[in-house]
Amino acid sequence: MKSSFLRRLINAPYLLWSAIFIIVPLVIVAYYAFTDESGNYTLSYILNIGEYKEVFIRSLVYAVIATLITLVMSYPVAYYMSRSKVSTQKIMMLLVMLPMWMNLLIRTYSWTTILEKTGLINSFLGFFGVEPLKLIGTPGAVILGMVYNYIPYMILPIYTVMTKIDNSLLEAAEDLGSNGWAKLKRVILPLSLPGVISGITMVFVPSVSTFYISQKLGGAQTLMIGDIIQKRFDALSYNTGAALSLIMMVVILISLAIMNRFTDDDDGGIIL
Amino acid sequence: MGSLVLLNIRQQFLLPQRGMHIMSKNENIVVELENIGISFDDEVILDDLCLSIKDGEFVTFLGPSGCGKTTTLRIIAGFTQPDTGEVIIDGNRMNGVPPYKRQVNTIFQRYALFPHLNVYENVAFGLRVNKVDKKEIDERVTAMLKSVNLSGFERRQIHSLSGGQQQRVAIARALVNNPKILLLDEPLGALDLKLRKDMQIELKNIQQQLGITFIFVTHDQEEALSMSDTVVVMNEGKIQQIGSPEDIYNEPKNAFVADFIGESNILDGIMREDKLVEMFGHRFECVDTGFEKNEPVDVVVRPEDIDVVSESEGQLSGVVSSITFKGVHYEIIVDINDFKWMIQSTDSPAVGDRIGISIPPQDIHIMKKSEYSGMFGDYSTFSDEMELLNEVEVDGEDET
Repeated sequence: MKSSFLRRLINAPYLLWSAIFIIVPLVIVAYYAFTDESGNYTLSYILNIGEYKEVFIRSLVYAVIATLITLVMSYPVAYYMSRSKVSTQKIMMLLVMLPMWMNLLIRTYSWTTILEKTGLINSFLGFFGVEPLKLIGTPGAVILGMVYNYIPYMILPIYTVMTKIDNSLLEAAEDLGSNGWAKLKRVILPLSLPGVISGITMVFVPSVSTFYISQKLGGAQTLMIGDIIQKRFDALSYNTGAALSLIMMVVILISLAIMNRFTDDDDGGIIL
Repeated sequence: MGSLVLLNIRQQFLLPQRGMHIMSKNENIVVELENIGISFDDEVILDDLCLSIKDGEFVTFLGPSGCGKTTTLRIIAGFTQPDTGEVIIDGNRMNGVPPYKRQVNTIFQRYALFPHLNVYENVAFGLRVNKVDKKEIDERVTAMLKSVNLSGFERRQIHSLSGGQQQRVAIARALVNNPKILLLDEPLGALDLKLRKDMQIELKNIQQQLGITFIFVTHDQEEALSMSDTVVVMNEGKIQQIGSPEDIYNEPKNAFVADFIGESNILDGIMREDKLVEMFGHRFECVDTGFEKNEPVDVVVRPEDIDVVSESEGQLSGVVSSITFKGVHYEIIVDINDFKWMIQSTDSPAVGDRIGISIPPQDIHIMKKSEYSGMFGDYSTFSDEMELLNEVEVDGEDET
């Protein structure tokens, strides 16, 4: 009895922390989602979600594209990093982390100065007499912003898992007749899968719920669900905002559950 | 295990094409290394190494950590490219040819089994990569697992196996590809003593049954002597001696080899004439010839070849400074003219006794002076504890 009481006492701060920062906010969100302005129970906000179908789909599509691009770009970098000398690894790690030391808003804002009509790229092209291109305000710019901002979250988990792949395994694969491609397919990919899954999770989740990037780099046609939620809260319509947030969470949970089906390995992945 | 299992391997893997190969052009040299040199970060790892290995031979590279034995193995496997020299396997120049194009398989130091694949898939790996027909894969893998006594382990995960079982999977994974040459990089290092002894016998038997070339790397001299047809003793990137285990033990070429293989007393001597050597002012009959008159030489006398006699009968005499019971024999350290001799004998004189020693002529081995002269062979600092410490150090080290 005594020991279990002690154990509970030791766990108490953690439980309290969880309650305050995880459970309570969720309950509040759920409360607003299922009530109207005067506090009466209603399902109308949840059921009205059809109005935002387009935005939801757009968010998902952009997030999937951004995640795929990030994955394709990160994988070779992570592999190269993990097979480099320790000193090279440290420098590359620093380069990957460096942009993260700056605020996301500033990073995104600086992209606008590069992409806008009178920005860096168009000024450069104008120098050669090329008509200014419409870069900003396009879906491409939004996806670029997401890729740029979230790529470290893809590189790092893949890199971490790859450093754990012993070189002798790669040599064994070669010894048994694998060329570069077979080595990748049969050894490196399967062994780095947990890192890939956590990378996808860590990029997909913030991408699908992003809001600032799409406002700055996109336009009215590229608004994402995060933007809508932010706008609803700004307009003090908490109930709509909360309902959208709740649906968003469910969508993310479903996406992650689907992803989890691709791996049954539990080390390295940050999954549910 | 036993002979039944080995019979299996013979039936399944003694393939007809082997006979054809023996008749082929370059006699029966299967690996040739010519003037191989390599350095890492300005440190010379191998220096002008030349070596021929015959088909079907069990060759062991033996030497202390950092002697270049593993590097030599990796050059044959293709993981490391030499800076200079030629690598010829089966008559073809292999410099620059990647490992996956070589008919060579390796058993790695810590096995390097694939953790994401089960036992069956580990063994099937090489066959799958080489797009062998599915049915044939199944037959060969099943037969191979049977011959290493792992039937029924097909679906087991690697991490659930014991060290000995993992070792067997590694052997099966390499041999299922019918390699021409099997390379073994200290494969028994991680096993306990008993298992190690069993595996030594088993590996030797497998090699004899299959008749393929085994190139085995170890720092354990006993392992080398008991398994090999040919031992290549290496130190500091150079081959010190190549020979049969008997040759290496009985006719060491220099003080390093004499000291590294077994116990030896290595003394300064002067060759007075053919078959007559002088040590400590006393002339000993021996059987060696071909030295200059009065040439300074190193003399090797193995501890077990020295007879303990009474002081008056001895060729030399001295005081017993320690004696240790070793089971089969006593290990006696005798101080003779300030040189500590080690003697292994069933006699047990007491510490402080004066005894004589007598050495039969055929047990005196004369060596030319070398760079290693004077570095080894005196037991003045000898103690069991030191020996043990040295051993541990060698065991723990990794090689590049």
